[in-house]
Amino acid sequence: MIQTIRDIFRVIRHPGDLFSISAADPYKSLKIRVVLLDAILSLLPLVIVVTISYFWFQSILKEDYRSQIKWQIENTKQSLDFFIEERVSGLRFIASTFTYEQLSDRKTLANVFLKFKREVSGLVDLGVIDSNGIQQAYVGPYKLEGKDYSNHDWFDEVTVRNVYVSDVFMGYRKLPHFAIAVKRELPEQGTFWILRATIDVETLSKFASAMNLGAEDDAFLINKEGVIQTPSQFHGNVLGKLTFPLPGSQQGVTVHEITESPHHECTICGYAELKNSPWILVAMIQSAPYLKIPRIFKNELLFIIIISTIIGIIVVTRIANTLVNRIQEAEKEREDAIAQSEHASKLASVGRLASGVAHEINNPLAIINEKAGLIKDILEVSEDPSKNREKFLGLINSIFDSVSRCRTITHRLLGFSRRMDTAHELFDMNDAIREVLGFLEKEIMFRNIRLELVLAEDLPRLMSDKGQIQQVLLNIFNNALDALLEGKEGAITITTDSKDQKIRVSVSDNGHGIPKDKLKKIFEPFYSTKEKGKGTGLGLFISYGIIKKLGGNILVESEATKGTKFTIEIPTTSTSQ
Amino acid sequence: MTEEIKADILLVDDEEQFLKVLSQRMEGRGMKVDTSTSGEEALSKVQGKEFDAIILDLAMPGMGGMETLKRIRSENPDVQIIMLTGHGSVEKGVEAMKEGAVDFLEKPADLNKIMEKVAEAKQKRIILVEKKHEAHVKEILQAKGW
Repeated sequence: MIQTIRDIFRVIRHPGDLFSISAADPYKSLKIRVVLLDAILSLLPLVIVVTISYFWFQSILKEDYRSQIKWQIENTKQSLDFFIEERVSGLRFIASTFTYEQLSDRKTLANVFLKFKREVSGLVDLGVIDSNGIQQAYVGPYKLEGKDYSNHDWFDEVTVRNVYVSDVFMGYRKLPHFAIAVKRELPEQGTFWILRATIDVETLSKFASAMNLGAEDDAFLINKEGVIQTPSQFHGNVLGKLTFPLPGSQQGVTVHEITESPHHECTICGYAELKNSPWILVAMIQSAPYLKIPRIFKNELLFIIIISTIIGIIVVTRIANTLVNRIQEAEKEREDAIAQSEHASKLASVGRLASGVAHEINNPLAIINEKAGLIKDILEVSEDPSKNREKFLGLINSIFDSVSRCRTITHRLLGFSRRMDTAHELFDMNDAIREVLGFLEKEIMFRNIRLELVLAEDLPRLMSDKGQIQQVLLNIFNNALDALLEGKEGAITITTDSKDQKIRVSVSDNGHGIPKDKLKKIFEPFYSTKEKGKGTGLGLFISYGIIKKLGGNILVESEATKGTKFTIEIPTTSTSQ
Repeated sequence: MTEEIKADILLVDDEEQFLKVLSQRMEGRGMKVDTSTSGEEALSKVQGKEFDAIILDLAMPGMGGMETLKRIRSENPDVQIIMLTGHGSVEKGVEAMKEGAVDFLEKPADLNKIMEKVAEAKQKRIILVEKKHEAHVKEILQAKGW
């Protein structure tokens, strides 16, 4: 576990190490790397895609909602414009239809007021003001006849601009109102009069609240100084000052976000200036879906990422485990197979030794058998065995001779097999060769093979694994014997020499040789040119391994039908294991 | 001791000691035993004399047992050859029998077994010789036509 964590940190600190496997526990290290690499490769694109789609989705939502809000504000603004326009036109119509004198008559004015009120909602009162600013006639809930407006701002304004829409003010009833005034010029007299109507703000605010907004949203009017004109749910009372400044006014509808609003995290603020009035329509939206949905979306995405990360890591870990375990198993199987083949090769050469030894032992045994049989014969036939004492002694002595012959053979075999396990010792290569040949001399003799030994006299002794070298020599000698053709005089030449701290042993035969295409394969495991059942295909493979292990080299030269020459080179002091 | 068998035997083996003792024992059982230590020697002996049976070692230096067998058979196909094999391998024995040996024995072999085989071989030879004689007589009868 500690190693795992350390390894992960190492990879994080040095990303290049991801591809180098630590030697301490290569399988575990490989496992961690596979998991890390797989996790990065599979989760990174997921995270990137999710992040991109999140922001993309958010911006689409935002655009969509903004245009929707813009459209709504535009609509409401037009309604409000129309509302005011309607009233202004109405007043204009009245002013142009009736004369000043007619309207100064309270009765006519009341009649007009009633009719007008029926047509347009929210009308509170109607007054006629002369050019001196004195209200000449008035219909409405208050007694305002004769009131002097000459020093009011709106009077100057309407004188100059012909039409005037006032800010909202608290009327005498303490209800918010606004006033519309239109000027009627009388060019013949060089004078004018003004028709002024007061309108209830409630009607106006209905338009704003008709914007079809959510419960947390707010729509209201302010004037250019930021004073609230219609009731607002959250941003102060009528005639109160707006708590935050609106950025500079522009043509058309403006939508922007206010993030530093004190109560809420994020608010969308949309506003538009009205055409014929001093007001600005403001919509404050808290419930913007794109502000909320991304939050839900964000949680969902986070959930998905976490879940897929967990699943991904579990699956990847499983896969890596299986993979690495398979590799480990395969490697182990390979090692086992090699160990087994090494064993098989040893068995094969032991088998060959055994058959040679059996033959050699059978001969003295046959002699013993016959001598003992002869003694028995004599004893059975002769009346007085003591007469044949000399003969018996002779027979028994030759039995002993045969027994000692057997003993030599078994000792030699035991010595050889024991040495198969021992490690390095100091020995003479020529002796080692002669010992191995000892096992084969019968076969060489029987098959009439000409064996030529060209052994260097001054060969240095070498420090190496004698048993294993003899195993290799036995294998090469056996191969040479097997390669010899029937019906042709076989010849094997064994040469030894030394050069540069190396001892070289060459074994050449005049056998069938190895074709070029097969020469490359002879050191491969389970490759054999011998007839089926005769070779294991392991001899040279094992020999190659042994010689390489001892720091030596094994070479082969061969020509088909002419013969083969194997050369092994072994350092006099083998250092490698 | 088994009953005496009168037979002319040639023993071929490279082990002189073995030849000496075995021939002594066989002579003790009434056989006439000749010996050779190599295939070449055996070949020359076969040319001069007819044996009832030849006991031939398979593994010999120089001309091996198998080669000797082939050569003797090519010169005298009627000869009864019993192989002795030190290798103790059935395979070699079967090979030898295919080449015309009548039987094979594993070394070290029991003398009684050898005697049995020799007796069998002699029996076979007698039949063969009789048949030959018969054929010869028939031939003469047909040729002379009397």
